[in-house]
Amino acid sequence: MFNLKKYRKKSPWILHYNAGSCNGCDIEILASLAPKYDLERFGVVNTGNPKQSDIFLVTGPVTLRSRERLVELYMQMPEPKVVVAVGSCSCTGGVFRDMYNVEDGVDRYIPVDVYIPGCAVSPELIIDGLVQGLEILEQKTKEMEKPLKLFKESTCEEGIVNRRDTALKVGKIDEKN
Amino acid sequence: MIEILLIVCAPLIGGLIYGLERKMRARMQNRQGPPLLQPFYDMWKLIDKQAFIINPYHTILGMMHFISLWMVVAFIILGENLLYVIFLHLLSSIFLILAGFSVKSIYSHIGSNRELLAILAYEPILIMLGVGFFILNGSFDISVIRENSPALASLFLLFLAFLMLIPIKLKKSPFDASEAHQEIVGGVEIEFSGVFFEFLYMAKWLEYIFIYLLLMLFAGDNILLGTGLFAIVFFLVNLVDNATARIKMSHLLKIVLGIGLTLGMCNLIGLSYV
Ligand code: SF4
Repeated sequence: MFNLKKYRKKSPWILHYNAGSCNGCDIEILASLAPKYDLERFGVVNTGNPKQSDIFLVTGPVTLRSRERLVELYMQMPEPKVVVAVGSCSCTGGVFRDMYNVEDGVDRYIPVDVYIPGCAVSPELIIDGLVQGLEILEQKTKEMEKPLKLFKESTCEEGIVNRRDTALKVGKIDEKN
Repeated sequence: MIEILLIVCAPLIGGLIYGLERKMRARMQNRQGPPLLQPFYDMWKLIDKQAFIINPYHTILGMMHFISLWMVVAFIILGENLLYVIFLHLLSSIFLILAGFSVKSIYSHIGSNRELLAILAYEPILIMLGVGFFILNGSFDISVIRENSPALASLFLLFLAFLMLIPIKLKKSPFDASEAHQEIVGGVEIEFSGVFFEFLYMAKWLEYIFIYLLLMLFAGDNILLGTGLFAIVFFLVNLVDNATARIKMSHLLKIVLGIGLTLGMCNLIGLSYV
């Protein structure tokens, strides 16, 4: 039959979030969207709106201040979705590792599908990582994936799932664990 | 028969025009650009995505926007009354604005506000366009307008005013403040997702058909001139889109109302007294 899944790969819309990066990787992401590297030839659109995007590009080591927003944005994206950690510091913490104000890497909070190393990553690597992310996107189901920490169960009233305020307040995470 | 076929295929043709436009914009920036059928790939993907419903009215109003816009296009193709078409189109925009106000998101409200201001700017020109055609042909019927000789020469100033209206309607720079991607995250579209965003996405394609069909009215019974007009204006709009930056809503109002209204008025006065 007509297979809808195959079209997921052809039109990935991205959401880019800066979780406290030094802006090096953000500039590289913009560079890969710009005419020289032309990510749009894969159908990529930088939507900036979590409710319409498929790929979540996160840069930065996740500072304490940005954790709630990270989980909140992740929860607002409809399934199927793929998370791509861009840059060394979002993979492992990079140069910021073990500092008092950062969590080492995005995968402490949300499940990551593709890691792109490099400080700063080159646009070629970003394109490569995105294309790998598309392969994963094709196999994903509409099953809801849960963030690992900082996550409050979504409430359900009269059959309508409410995902607002899905992230715990930062203080509460210590009580939870 | 052919009209029915055209009406049913209208969104598909609109999608093709949109794909062509993305391709052309890319070529103007010296890059490869997405494939021609990209809008349809987006469409199939959106069907497959999970959809969030914010509240029932919001989604229903979004669908109504699409359906009423389709009716507008159908009326033009069938050759109905031009004034009906213009006001029905206004109604479809109102649906979208109401949808924007029915959710709590602030961006959605800003988008709706800006959409209202945009209507304030372009609606007088559309109505003057109708009046201009009436003075010329003695009838508001589109079928009559289509049978008469080209109106381009006698409505030239109104045509220029109409050119200013195209970027507002198609959300192109410099007049795209009402959608403003990244700045207010798409305005009214922000809370739509999955299949429900699909309707808005396709409504955008219908908007292309609507505007370019109105443009072809200037060519009257001369189909060759109509196609030429479409090609030239299509190219021009994209060129301007690539070459200019977004301007503020207040400037948009000043420019479009100031220049557009004056041009239109001059043309109407000229038509009725000369
Ligand atoms: S990986 Fe390096 S360049 Fe990229 S955000 Fe982190 S510190 Fe900056």
